[in-house]
Amino acid sequence: MIFSVPMEEGLVLAWVLFVTGLVGVIVRRDIIFILMSIEIMLNAAGLAFVIAGARWAQPDGQVMFIFIMAMAAAEVSVGLALVLQLYYRRKTLDVDSASGMKG
Amino acid sequence: MDADTLRALLPLIIISATPVAVMLVLAFYRSHALTVFLVLAGLALSFASLFPASGLLPRMAAGLLVLDHYSFFFMGLMFAATFAVALLSYGYLGRKDIFPDEYYILLLIAAAGSAVIVSSSHFASFFLGLELLSVPLYALISYPRANPRNVEAGIKYLILAGTSSAFLLFGMALVYAELGTMEFPRISTAALFPGTDRNFVLAGVAMIITGIGFKLALVPFHMWTPDVYEGAPAPVAAFVATVSKGAMFALLLRYFTIFDIRRYGSLMLLFTVISIASMFAGNLLALFQNNVKRLLAYSSIAHLGYLLVAFLASGVLAAAAVAFYLAAYFVSTLGAFGVISVLSGKERDADMIDDYMGLAWRSPWLAGIFAAMLLSLAGIPLTAGFIGKFFIAAAGVDSSLWALVIILVINSAIGLFYYLRVIAALYSRRPGALAASPKLPVLGGITLGALSVALLWLGVYPATMLEIIRNTISRFF
Repeated sequence: MIFSVPMEEGLVLAWVLFVTGLVGVIVRRDIIFILMSIEIMLNAAGLAFVIAGARWAQPDGQVMFIFIMAMAAAEVSVGLALVLQLYYRRKTLDVDSASGMKG
Repeated sequence: MDADTLRALLPLIIISATPVAVMLVLAFYRSHALTVFLVLAGLALSFASLFPASGLLPRMAAGLLVLDHYSFFFMGLMFAATFAVALLSYGYLGRKDIFPDEYYILLLIAAAGSAVIVSSSHFASFFLGLELLSVPLYALISYPRANPRNVEAGIKYLILAGTSSAFLLFGMALVYAELGTMEFPRISTAALFPGTDRNFVLAGVAMIITGIGFKLALVPFHMWTPDVYEGAPAPVAAFVATVSKGAMFALLLRYFTIFDIRRYGSLMLLFTVISIASMFAGNLLALFQNNVKRLLAYSSIAHLGYLLVAFLASGVLAAAAVAFYLAAYFVSTLGAFGVISVLSGKERDADMIDDYMGLAWRSPWLAGIFAAMLLSLAGIPLTAGFIGKFFIAAAGVDSSLWALVIILVINSAIGLFYYLRVIAALYSRRPGALAASPKLPVLGGITLGALSVALLWLGVYPATMLEIIRNTISRFF
């Protein structure tokens, strides 16, 4: 057998990472940390894809992981550009300052 | 891939090549009018190429894209809607102090993303289409970046869309881990193999639904909608409300019909609860809004709830109802946001109800169009929205979803209140915040005129549209 890590253990690890990221998105107030937490969630999903691909001995999981990496990079570059804009206007990275709209 | 498949892919190729062409032209020569002309030409060409390509259907492209009449119908709808958004954006951006050109590139990329979504038949193409649609939207929403509201809306959308993508991907990974395939048609058969862990697959599907629910702004994933609509430029809000939601819904309808969700009681229950909650939350929260964009945001949440009724009914009639309703909803929403965009000035969008006080006495045509669009959203006879709602109720009755149909009717009545509130403001004698009578931009005026004609045409003589739907959507089922 090529693959030695059992799928269940691998998926549990991916799940733990995913929840870590989700908790980070919810509790963190600093926008940089929120973006990092989203990265953790996306990479957890990527890890799950790699594990799933290994179970079926297909390259598809790794292909998806590369897609996810490329997309995460695109997303974070737009995100950081927006963060810069927010910082210019408000001189803070606290997301609570970006709450002009309510209702 | 043979030559015929490439020819069938022509609409997708043209819509992807247009932003590249526009970008190259921009490197040499910047002119707002020329850019818009190229964008409109590209969209019109992609739309026109649907017709010669439709003779070659149905076929698969590389196992990633399925090209059939179903995807072509929705591609046509997406291209037409993007065309209207681009026309409305011309006047809107012309009044602002910003470089307008890159806006259209982002718009075209997002349109290409929506076309990929409606024709995707594989997790990879679905995911790529989704990101192609989302990432340009972050930038589009915060495009007039001098305004802190736009940046705020862009960041909110980015965080929520990123989180929802992560949910979607994790769900896909779980489904793949259990079934060993990422192609939608094979997933539905693989799920029935004895020995597959159904709970595992359902957990994955639930996470995928969470991701899709965010995109469609269904309760309980709707919190971002009003803020993003309020903060986004009016034409972009129209795009988010129509193209981005419509593409996702088309995909949801196609694959849950193949998946035959009626076999899974838990999924039926889940969608029933989501549908009812979306209808009530959308309509009740809209009652308290003084901002027209927020009001339309809540109303779009309710409309997606209505659409889910037809989705749950599933079958040929339901698919036709969804297609017609989406077309009607596209026309009315684009029209309503279109009126907001032509009235918006340099500093801010005309989005408070007070701005519309007595508009009918200064600009009767514009007020009439706005009132017609709102009446269509409310589902009043003679407008497109009425016929759409009628078909949805018919599909619901056909599948004897009585409770859902009754709730839909109750919600339409609640909805009438807030639409009429805006219409009452339009025709009130009190002068509004927008003092001078607005000068209607030519392109915006033509667009609004065309949308009103489409609205009445769909409402008074729906036979043409139904014929189109019979020849495209119904063939699929």
